[in-house]
Amino acid sequence: MIALENLSVRYRSGDREVAALSGVSLALPSGRVTGLVGESGSGKTTLVMAILGLLPPEARIAGHILLDGVDVVGIGDSALDRFRWTRVALVPQGSQNAFNPVLSIGEQIAEPIRVHLGLSRQEAGRRTWRLLDEVGLGKRMAGRFPHELSGGQRQRAALAMALSCDPAFLLADEPTTALDVIIQAEIVELLRRTVRERKMGMAVVTHDLPLASGLCETICVLDGGRLVETLPAGDLAGNARHPRTRALVKALLEMEQARP
Amino acid sequence: MSSLLEIRDIHVTFHGRRGTEKALRGVDMDLAPGESLAVVGESGSGKTTLLRAALGLVPPARGNVRLFGKDLQGLKRDQRIGILRRCGLMPQDPYGAVPPTLSVREAVMEPLLLVNGFGAREACARKAEALLREWGLPDETLWGARVSSSLSGGQRQRVCGARAMALDPQLFLADEPTSMQDASLRGEIVSVLESRVSSGMGLVLVTHDLLLARRAARTGLVLYRGVAVEKAPTADLLDNPLHPYTAALARALPRLGRAILPPSESRACEGLGCPYADRCEKAGPECVEAPSLKEVSPGRFVACHKA
Repeated sequence: MIALENLSVRYRSGDREVAALSGVSLALPSGRVTGLVGESGSGKTTLVMAILGLLPPEARIAGHILLDGVDVVGIGDSALDRFRWTRVALVPQGSQNAFNPVLSIGEQIAEPIRVHLGLSRQEAGRRTWRLLDEVGLGKRMAGRFPHELSGGQRQRAALAMALSCDPAFLLADEPTTALDVIIQAEIVELLRRTVRERKMGMAVVTHDLPLASGLCETICVLDGGRLVETLPAGDLAGNARHPRTRALVKALLEMEQARP
Repeated sequence: MSSLLEIRDIHVTFHGRRGTEKALRGVDMDLAPGESLAVVGESGSGKTTLLRAALGLVPPARGNVRLFGKDLQGLKRDQRIGILRRCGLMPQDPYGAVPPTLSVREAVMEPLLLVNGFGAREACARKAEALLREWGLPDETLWGARVSSSLSGGQRQRVCGARAMALDPQLFLADEPTSMQDASLRGEIVSVLESRVSSGMGLVLVTHDLLLARRAARTGLVLYRGVAVEKAPTADLLDNPLHPYTAALARALPRLGRAILPPSESRACEGLGCPYADRCEKAGPECVEAPSLKEVSPGRFVACHKA
């Protein structure tokens, strides 16, 4: 479904160039949940933004991004719009500025439906209600404004928005950041169920290795803009090969130890 | 040993546009020098309010707080400041906690200058630098940078930690101190807290993460909707929880090689005395009565009719 071939992204910062991604090749198959894991500065967010064509103009991209077999690097916004929302959709961090503060949740979910699917206001409204039910919020949330929702509710609304045009693949960016463990577990369960029932693929960007191991089947570890290891989630604890992955796992296992 | 902090039957109520919110409903807490206590619970459980109440930053509706043996309410301003200077608070949001115009070094120096006087600038700067190193910010090129411009959330959080520790507090209150740290740095922060506790500092750690609680504190107090539902050694809270809510917190925690299990959904049921009854899989008729926190075995307290 999504394939990256030798993808590099460089930013110019003053008179220096910074490599955000260097020669990354990976496949995000449909019907599977893949974790893109790394610490701050590893390039994981750049990777997602590159797939969606949302990098800032000064970013220089080399390599290929294949969506349904079509190379989308440099094809421009209007050509990319054939894929965005309807084939690949972003689940933004609900905790952050994913929503326009002056529009109701319902209006914001309906907008891509009207723009990308060409549905009438009424049809888009009905579809929005169905989506709000599907993510466990219910129709009555349509009239609420973003600040009236809790962090967990906003993350559910962010998922409803991503699902609005029935995409085949979701890119979830830190979907549980700033949520407590209980709400996080509920969102994890919702994402798992949604992907299973809709037979979608999903990539989850996170710095949280235990979260990725609980949510994803395959884990891709990024470090300093390079893909250093791809492994089944079940192999993380005992079978990681790359020193970077092992260091991350070791840090976690140290936290697992009780106080001496 | 004398007590650093003694909280008895504290109630805190907030009055807002949507009515009143009982953030704390009768919680007790004690801490002696060299002890570490984790306050654990989900968002809205009252953890942060308890921390703020400990320093007199929110007035209790009922109950009382004694810091270093003194009731803050009855003290004159100077005496209160004297006591508060022996406490360090590391707040949850590092973005709002440090004046943004200060440099990293100045942010840590500020409390030192206020206490030691501006004549002691050099000594305060050296002390601030030592603290920054202790908190995992050894890069000297960063010390002159403004807090607002060039720091990541994790770095700001460590600056806040160093600042809160500037006066070598005897009581340290940390609100989710590792929330913005990459996994590889979380252990470092725990080590800072640990080494201070071993030299006699009292630590209250607020977190929703039972793993962090177990790693960094000896005793854990679990809050749910403003009520203490369990108190036990932190290792027992994670491995052998007695209260169904503590068990739900443990199951929901992401851990390598384990499934993340969501809690059961809340059911509509009115008028039950136990605050957790609407979400509890074990709830029965007796839960109409509110359970109180009882010692069920040495060092283990639980407020549950079914435990």
